[in-house]
Amino acid sequence: MSVRTSASFTRRTVIGLGALALGLGLSACGGGDTEAKPGVAVSNAKPIVIAVIPKGTTHEFWKTVHAGVIKAERELNAAGTPVKAIWKGPLKEDDRTSQISTVQNFIAQGVQGIVLMPLDRTALVAPVELAISSNIPVVIADSALESDKPASYIATNNKEGGRIGGKHLGELLGGKGKVILLRYMEGSASTEEREAGFMEAIKTFPDITVISSDVHAGATHETALKASQNLINRFKDEVNGVFCPCEPVTTAITQALTEQGINKKVKVVGFDNTPRLVEWLKAGDIHGLVLQDPLNMGYLAVKAAVAAAQGKPVDKRNDMAPRLVTPENMDQPEFKALLNPPLAEYLGK
Amino acid sequence: MTTRLTVTGIAKAFGATKALVGVDLSVNAGECLALIGENGAGKSTLMKVLTGAHRADGGSMTLDGAPYDPSGPLDARSRGVAIVYQELTLARHLGVAENILLGNQPSRFGIVDRKRQNAIAREALEQLGLGDLDLDRPAGSLPIAQQQLVEIARALTAKPRLLILDEPTSSLTAADVEHLFSVIRRLKTQGVSVIYISHFLEECRAVAEHYAVLRDGASVASGAMADASETDLIRHMVGRDVAEIYPRIPHDIGDTVLELRGIAGEAKPTDATLALRRGEILGLFGLVGSGRSETLRALFGLDRIARGMVLIGGQPQTHRSPRQRLLAGMGLVSEDRKSEGLLLNLPIADNLTLTCLGPFTTAGLINRGRQEASARSLMERMLVKAAGPAQAVGELSGGNQQKVAIGRLLHHGCDILLLDEPTRGIDVGAKAHIYRLIGELAAQGKSVIVVSSYIPELLGICDAIAVMCRGVLSPARPVAEWDSHTILSAAIGAEENAECRMQSAE
Amino acid sequence: MSTPAIALPNRALRLLSKLGPFIALIALLVIFRIALGLGDSPSDFWSATNLRIILVQTSIVAIAACGMTMIIVSGGIDLSVGSVIALSSVVAGLTLHHGGDPLLAIAAAIAAGMVAGALNGSLIAAFGLAPFIVTLGMMGVARGAAKLFADSSTVSFPTNWLGKLMQPIPFPGDPTIIKALVVAPGVWLAALTAVGMALLMHKSVFGRSAYAIGSNEAAARLCGVRVRTNKIAIYALAGALFGLAGLLMTSQQGQGNPTIALGMELDVIAAVVIGGASLSGGTGTVLGTIIGALIMSVLRSGTDQLGWPTAWQEILIGAIIVLAVGIDRLRNHRAG
Repeated sequence: MSVRTSASFTRRTVIGLGALALGLGLSACGGGDTEAKPGVAVSNAKPIVIAVIPKGTTHEFWKTVHAGVIKAERELNAAGTPVKAIWKGPLKEDDRTSQISTVQNFIAQGVQGIVLMPLDRTALVAPVELAISSNIPVVIADSALESDKPASYIATNNKEGGRIGGKHLGELLGGKGKVILLRYMEGSASTEEREAGFMEAIKTFPDITVISSDVHAGATHETALKASQNLINRFKDEVNGVFCPCEPVTTAITQALTEQGINKKVKVVGFDNTPRLVEWLKAGDIHGLVLQDPLNMGYLAVKAAVAAAQGKPVDKRNDMAPRLVTPENMDQPEFKALLNPPLAEYLGK
Repeated sequence: MTTRLTVTGIAKAFGATKALVGVDLSVNAGECLALIGENGAGKSTLMKVLTGAHRADGGSMTLDGAPYDPSGPLDARSRGVAIVYQELTLARHLGVAENILLGNQPSRFGIVDRKRQNAIAREALEQLGLGDLDLDRPAGSLPIAQQQLVEIARALTAKPRLLILDEPTSSLTAADVEHLFSVIRRLKTQGVSVIYISHFLEECRAVAEHYAVLRDGASVASGAMADASETDLIRHMVGRDVAEIYPRIPHDIGDTVLELRGIAGEAKPTDATLALRRGEILGLFGLVGSGRSETLRALFGLDRIARGMVLIGGQPQTHRSPRQRLLAGMGLVSEDRKSEGLLLNLPIADNLTLTCLGPFTTAGLINRGRQEASARSLMERMLVKAAGPAQAVGELSGGNQQKVAIGRLLHHGCDILLLDEPTRGIDVGAKAHIYRLIGELAAQGKSVIVVSSYIPELLGICDAIAVMCRGVLSPARPVAEWDSHTILSAAIGAEENAECRMQSAE
Repeated sequence: MSTPAIALPNRALRLLSKLGPFIALIALLVIFRIALGLGDSPSDFWSATNLRIILVQTSIVAIAACGMTMIIVSGGIDLSVGSVIALSSVVAGLTLHHGGDPLLAIAAAIAAGMVAGALNGSLIAAFGLAPFIVTLGMMGVARGAAKLFADSSTVSFPTNWLGKLMQPIPFPGDPTIIKALVVAPGVWLAALTAVGMALLMHKSVFGRSAYAIGSNEAAARLCGVRVRTNKIAIYALAGALFGLAGLLMTSQQGQGNPTIALGMELDVIAAVVIGGASLSGGTGTVLGTIIGALIMSVLRSGTDQLGWPTAWQEILIGAIIVLAVGIDRLRNHRAG
């Protein structure tokens, strides 16, 4: 085959595929519009369109962020600032590629602002900086991004969360014993910070040894469960406490401990909450959950993005302090709201 | 004597290609009909119609007086029509017994009854004198001849009224052939009719009472075997006198350009010795499995050479890659031009010039204009019938495809051409073109080795013929010293090739 | 003919390639037992509990791989396993969510898998499309359908006895029947599936036809095997098993989830290939596949317990797949 024809063929193909991909992306985003909930006051003015891109959509945590996003949207609309928030995330929590193309598609679509919870602290830098250079302000939430260009960074102080969890576990064990850290997934910034915070805090207890801290649970519930079952079976006779840096790992570890009949005996300090985790907390299978405030995070992020889109000044950084909820304090009203966020009110389910 | 099968005006087309245009024949009970025809005459299609693998577009058939129009292989089988295909149709991972009863396993509630399966298979194999074969042995691990017999056993389990054998001896040894003939004779005495397809006319004469000749999808002659001479049959097969098919173009033979000394490959050949001279057309004959294609492949550097020496122009060749061979002026046209020879989706021009793009290339880019001009002149020289050099090769007829394959060697400037079955599956007119082309090449001083399993063409165009038998290639002898009988005997290892038989007995 | 001369090494090789996976499994079990028995805090890799856990972890892949074995033996491939499992999981979850009986959920999951499989088979058989392409398409379609049905979320349902299917160790309060089973009911389901499929493939006309089609499709057709019908049935049956695997996944997770089993097709195909099946069809056994699935679970469990980073597990499993295929190739080369 001649080089010339093949080259021109290739170029044409690339252009064609690019156009096709763009078209598909746009239509997919268009589909996302329908997710905006009814009951929003409609103004005649053109609404400010904010794209909100979470790390995932199936986990409870992201649903709560979504509720916060809708809360902010409703408030702003009621206050006379028409806002439309588009909620669009990858279904798989470790699909960086799809998150990158989601950002790119929103840039192409010409939204007024983007709220991004980046799956990767470096991989998402390029699309974010492209958005900013196209005059679309970006607010980073939940996990850090290696860039100082975003308008604002709103996140739980994850390291502090890890420290709180570590301190609590140490105190539960009376300062001595053997503990396990089951890590989440390689390359996830927020959980790595929690893990680092935990290790820092647990070192202040000289009589506590960490007997396993190298295993990663992986991205999904299935992989987390397998890893938990294997680890717990290995150390079931000696382990006194476990720290879990996020929801899937907390769920999997508790499940594995229950299967071995050593739940309640082994102290579990986890992160985040779901109805299941709350039940276990109540039953004494889990002894502490470090909680973020995802509803507030979504709320603050959308507000910041709208403000940035309107050219108003926004705080460059907003550290949200995590809270520790235990079986003892879980019935206090402030924790109750954190444990059972009013999802139904916003998501209608 | 009752008529077993009649076939009247059967026609079958595949898209625009008319494979059968009107076939008439009949077979009596307990008799054997030899069905003769060239490759591509429509024999295989006719067999597939008879066994229900294809549905005829027109015409009618009767079996023992009743209308016969099988809906599928199973239906034909249940009516008592069984076939042994030329190409092996065994599932090589499955055992012998399973293969024999494939598609027809005795079963109860969907569970295979292995005991009965083995009993039926054993009985069929005993008829063929293979009663001691391991029934669970994977068919793929059997020698080719035994695989062929397993296929015949499969046909026998249908208790056939009509048995069709399609080129059954192409992979059999002489002893196996004789054994097969005795089986056929026994079946005939039991009232079974046989259709025997072969282009070995001697074999047809040995087993068949009647013959029918197929050419270009139509039956052109039929009659009693005893009344037909060999020349008659060949004339019917090719449709014209043999002399005009094989044009004699005068050419001079010079010094030796290529020499093989005791070449042995991984399995075959075991011992190949040959000398090719400048301007010579050398025929290479051998039965399927004798190792003739393997010899060409080893010679061209496609297969590993275990022993022996190749000399080109007197120089021993140390490098053994096709690339080195091409640089030394040798070119090969594979017997399987569709999968190995041509890039079917690509234009003629690309196919012709693939091995040598240098003349049209500037700074790594190909000048299409010059490439096509060069291709066009080659096409004119070789009488390739096509819309133009940009047409895809896959759209051409078989004969024109073959011309393109040979044309590539000419474009490359090869002096030694290895042609493996250059006329397989192409029509008679195109064959004559190819023969003329080969003659012209020799007249230009090129040397050609033609591998063929069709003896008349070798006798018609070659200066010398060498015969291969079970991996052993003996030096060539002038064509005048051969006739079709001596060639075949040498190939089977029957007469003077006693050493050849010794080899195989090891 | 020189058959006897070749037969001996052939037989030895065939035996080795047949027993190879089994030997590897035993070797892994021994190695991990020794490795975990050393050090400051030894643990017993062969403890009843650990073996039970390994079996539970194998059962989902094993059931799916039984179906895949039949497909691969018949010369096909199914890339949509993971997605079909997710689809079945969502269908089962929805059935329970809307108050359906657990038995109905089981039937629904299996039916969903079967429909997807039958669709694959029909497209492959009727239009002669390449299985790779058809099932690649189904991989997207089934995953998308799962997300659509689940509204891109997880499907929750009230706790019921299905949850007991994948519980590795019986609880003190469990009914006697669960305790009497010794291992989780899901493991028994996998074992029954394996035995049933092994019998089907070895003894039945349908099973033998699958081998014949994979070995030489043209020959099977000429011998009157109904190739198309058989292909549809093969993919549908395999799909039903994928549905069953999806049900066990649902039971294990306590929820229907459209994002589960991502990339699981590779685990399933790997189990079949490690078990000695050839991707070109005609060879492969259910027993081999089960051993292949066990090898992967044991490897994962052992390396987890030794505290090896996940990266090493992935490298090891990848290397084992290549090794298994290499042995297969060697065997075929010699035999052919």
